[in-house]
Amino acid sequence: MLQKIREFIKSLYETGYEEEAKRKYGIRKILREEKEGELERRLLEEGERNFRLMKKTPRPKGMKYYDDVIKGKRIKEIESFDGMVIGYFCNLVPEELIYASGALPVRLCSGFYDTINVSEELLPKDICPLIKSSFGFTVSNLPYSKFCNLIVIPTSCDGKKKLAEVLSNYLPVWTLDLPNTKSTKSKESWFVEVKILKKKIEKLTGAKITNKKLKESIELLHKRTQVFRRFYELRKKSVVTGSDALLVVQTSFYDDINRWIQKTEELCDELEENENKSDVRLLLTGSPIIWPNYKLLNIIEEHALIVVDELCSGTQHLYDPVVVDEYTTNGMLKAMAERYFSPSTCPCFTSSDDRIDRLLQMVDDFKVHGVIYYVLRLCQLYDLEAQKVRQILKGKRIPMIKIQTDYSQEDVEQIRTRIEAFLEMTKTKKKL
Amino acid sequence: MITVGIDIGSVATKTLILKDNNILSTALGPTKADPNLAAELTMEEVLRNASLSRDDIAYVVSTGYGRRTIGFGDKAVTEITANARGSTFLGCPYGSIGTIIDLGGQDSKVISLEDDCIVDFVMNDKCSAGTGRFLEVMAHILGVDLEELGELSLKSKNPVKLNSTCTVFAESEIISLIAQRKGREDIIAGLHETIARKLAGMVRQLGIREAIFFSGGGAKNPGIRKALENELGVRLYVPKEPEFVTALGAALIASEFSSKSK
Repeated sequence: MLQKIREFIKSLYETGYEEEAKRKYGIRKILREEKEGELERRLLEEGERNFRLMKKTPRPKGMKYYDDVIKGKRIKEIESFDGMVIGYFCNLVPEELIYASGALPVRLCSGFYDTINVSEELLPKDICPLIKSSFGFTVSNLPYSKFCNLIVIPTSCDGKKKLAEVLSNYLPVWTLDLPNTKSTKSKESWFVEVKILKKKIEKLTGAKITNKKLKESIELLHKRTQVFRRFYELRKKSVVTGSDALLVVQTSFYDDINRWIQKTEELCDELEENENKSDVRLLLTGSPIIWPNYKLLNIIEEHALIVVDELCSGTQHLYDPVVVDEYTTNGMLKAMAERYFSPSTCPCFTSSDDRIDRLLQMVDDFKVHGVIYYVLRLCQLYDLEAQKVRQILKGKRIPMIKIQTDYSQEDVEQIRTRIEAFLEMTKTKKKL
Repeated sequence: MITVGIDIGSVATKTLILKDNNILSTALGPTKADPNLAAELTMEEVLRNASLSRDDIAYVVSTGYGRRTIGFGDKAVTEITANARGSTFLGCPYGSIGTIIDLGGQDSKVISLEDDCIVDFVMNDKCSAGTGRFLEVMAHILGVDLEELGELSLKSKNPVKLNSTCTVFAESEIISLIAQRKGREDIIAGLHETIARKLAGMVRQLGIREAIFFSGGGAKNPGIRKALENELGVRLYVPKEPEFVTALGAALIASEFSSKSK
């Protein structure tokens, strides 16, 4: 087995990927340069609209930092950053490897409506909005994708698989082959993927990912997990809204990690002092919700509180630590592969058992009154799992509502009616 | 105590005055582009019919799609809650209500009840597929009044099988059926079956729980009712004036709030 891996890694070098990439992408093709300023303005506008809606409930003072980051405070810093910037999609790419190489990781999944139009000129209409938005975002040369020297995409859902291929016409893309089950064989092959990624990143950055650097970056991310878990526990006291909580997570996609850790500690200190919000307590699950597409959150939190989320763009992104048995390079890589693979509750895995277990755990831990199941239109995997989740929750007498929508604003009133009716029902049931 | 329920639907606004659980008067008008105006006009009408003035009204609850847009309501509740309240108040001669099917202008909904409490509900997707609006468009193409559809369809011996519940696609499908000289009655019966299939699918999603109460403007159409009964294999109960069930529920909720706030 080991011999085979060695050979494979060797063959990878021999293909001269870097040379090929240089030839192929020497001049990066950019679409719609003339619209760049216009799109950036619209992105800020969308953000401002969210802030106005979020302000309806008093927000912690500490949120100002996250607001500034999401508004683009970080753009200039990354622009003037000396090293490589590595973009990635999904929450399955080991950030530790990127940090250990001295490069900066940025997560590129997009929630921006306006880049869907850009995308529809090149991609079919009937694919999920996240893929369309992200593709349009990347080829429109918007921050942070415009700073990326490489984009890493796991083959999670069908959309991501093909996103990798279509994006590779514009800039260097590295695909991580994600297995669909969590069998021993799958774990082995995922481990190989992580090892190859390490080589790939070393090649790109020209830096050797040493044992020491790996250990340091694992420890750095431990600190992040630690403060996030503190924040997560505080959410049980319902001291922060679901939209603020998602904003906290999503700023970690690109901000300086040390600053983020420090600011999140400060936010937690502030939240310790906060009064409990007595409200209907909801769990949010389903397709990723990404800034600035906070449409559903804003509707829900006019009347209720999302105390916890199970989103890959939320809790799942930061919750799990890398657990190392031995601090050998291999041991650390193995632990890293494990951290991004086993706890994943992405529906691209054939079984939904892990996800359902996690949901039931959250229902108990956070004493939720109801579950909101969000499905992005054409996100078949989350849609397909909804029925089973609904049945199991029904058995526990936890009401669930499925909301299917996209990034457009046209159905806001219809969603409002469904959410309000759901809350009225839940309140009557729980005698709130 | 006198209260008012206003149900501002996407097509029609229904207003109802309630005095000590008795309906004094009802009014129905088109919502069109101004929900507030529709609410004002129907309000004036019910007051006039009942020889009352605004000062006599203790509490107003608005519901429906335009519930938040009117200027004089005391409280807004969703049409799901209001409908369930109205339906359980009216009751059903076939036993306690397990399911409510409501066919409205823009939305169709199915509500599951347990001991008169809502336990679950589903609504159609964001488009108007298989709703009252769908029938309105089709009636227009066929050159008949919306009210005539039901009686006409009952004469059909051989309903046409239609493929689409999408208003846009069904429109072209019907135009081609007319070109093929299919009978008008058969086309209409086919339309009703299409809607019934869609509604029955929503009912099955929640599980069929008897007795089934059928409300909303669409419930006045005997063709849809028949098609739905065939599809589900269950008898449906349609109350008198099914289009006012939700407004009635709003007025009942208004009475509760009014006595609570005193």
